[in-house]
Amino acid sequence: MIEPVNVALGLAALSAVLSVIATYLAVSDRDLLRALIFSALQSTAYAIIFLVLMAPDIVLVYVPVAVGIYPAVVLALIKRVGRFEGGEGGE
Amino acid sequence: MNEFEVSLSLIVLFSLFANTAIALYGVFSKPNLVKKLISMTILSDTANAFAIVIGYRAWPSPEESPVPPVLTNISGGYAAVQELAQRSVDPLPQALVLTAVVIGLAVTIFLASIILHYHRTHGTVEMVVSG
Amino acid sequence: MASRYLIAVSIALVVVSLSFAVAYGALGASVPLEGLRSLARAYVTLAYAPWNRTLTVMSPEAVTSIVWDFRGVDTFFETAVLFGAIIGTVTLFRGIKPSARIGEGLSAIARSAAAVTAPMILAVAAAIALHGHLTPGGGFQGGATAAVVALVILVTFSLGYLVSGLSKERALMLRSAGLLGIAAVALIPPILGGIVFQNQAKELSQFSYPAYIGGALTSGSLLFYNLFESLAVAAGLTLTIMLLLSPHEVVEEAVRGEDHERI
Repeated sequence: MIEPVNVALGLAALSAVLSVIATYLAVSDRDLLRALIFSALQSTAYAIIFLVLMAPDIVLVYVPVAVGIYPAVVLALIKRVGRFEGGEGGE
Repeated sequence: MNEFEVSLSLIVLFSLFANTAIALYGVFSKPNLVKKLISMTILSDTANAFAIVIGYRAWPSPEESPVPPVLTNISGGYAAVQELAQRSVDPLPQALVLTAVVIGLAVTIFLASIILHYHRTHGTVEMVVSG
Repeated sequence: MASRYLIAVSIALVVVSLSFAVAYGALGASVPLEGLRSLARAYVTLAYAPWNRTLTVMSPEAVTSIVWDFRGVDTFFETAVLFGAIIGTVTLFRGIKPSARIGEGLSAIARSAAAVTAPMILAVAAAIALHGHLTPGGGFQGGATAAVVALVILVTFSLGYLVSGLSKERALMLRSAGLLGIAAVALIPPILGGIVFQNQAKELSQFSYPAYIGGALTSGSLLFYNLFESLAVAAGLTLTIMLLLSPHEVVEEAVRGEDHERI
């Protein structure tokens, strides 16, 4: 029988490992749009960590901010300045 | 807490440290301003997550989880509040992170508009010094 | 390239030493803690304590109690930082008028779906903000959720549709109204003989906001702070999103006009 404490902490640990992978891909990818999507994935993993660590207040503010508004803002930015790192990008 | 639970929480802690390292590397060494902005939001999110992890507490018993610092049994009187204090997590880091997340969003929007104006003036967002 | 490796190695060294220190008790205890810190215990037990009327907040939500009562001045200045950033964005985009010309937007299906979901999100945001003193939630959470509605409308309908309902001036006015409301709720106690940011009666000053209104628990000033803060956050974030996503030509026009003035 698996104890509930192991399920909860295991979910947090799994999300933490997922967030490391997403962060690495977000920083290393030269395509800014893909980097933004990986960054949103990392935010989702953090939201799960916050939920498991009993912080419902933070989840309520973090989900609209980090998964809703922040990608839209950076998306608008990427649309103007060009999609690829190192290129003479933009309109 | 037995060995397994301790190692699980250490995985969370070390993952956050790894995220800090990767995000710092992105801020320092990537020449693209947008990439710097993305790395910086990851860095601030990681700092917030670290504060939440510090505010967490070990499980009182393997079946009984910690609870959010919200009193649900409001008519329970003094005994209910004492029972909540036996199981609740630390509310102070949550209160600090709550405002930090919203301020972080406003600062991100501010930086995004600065980058936009930079691109408008200079035609590029690459921070490479030639020569 | 050599400098890049130097950066990577030095960051790795810092992080390894930090994590080593934390794993061996540099925070004064193991993480996570076995019990509750004494400060946290005081916050949790005093948040709702009708038997201790001079120290309590009368709110079952410990986080909102800390945000708006135990550490109210702290939150006030954090709100000041938040609106400093928003005012900075508005200043960068000065002279730009988002036009109220209604564009095409997305397809009819997407627009109908948005028309159904947007009021629902708004209702959830209002519930989060107004129940902030009873359940998880509060002004910041409700305001951020309400700003998502503006984003949904902006994407599915058009910027002009949003601007025709909520112009730049009106958003600025709503934001200022929220800030004035926060200031008023904070300054009413000293006018009536209390202290700044006072909620419930203390030993030294007997001023107290009513903890119950019509039999419902409103936790004194927390309800009003949450209401005004959600208004201010929603209007401020909507304003900055509106300016940031305004069309390229409009911004270009405004910037060019500025150059001519300077010459």
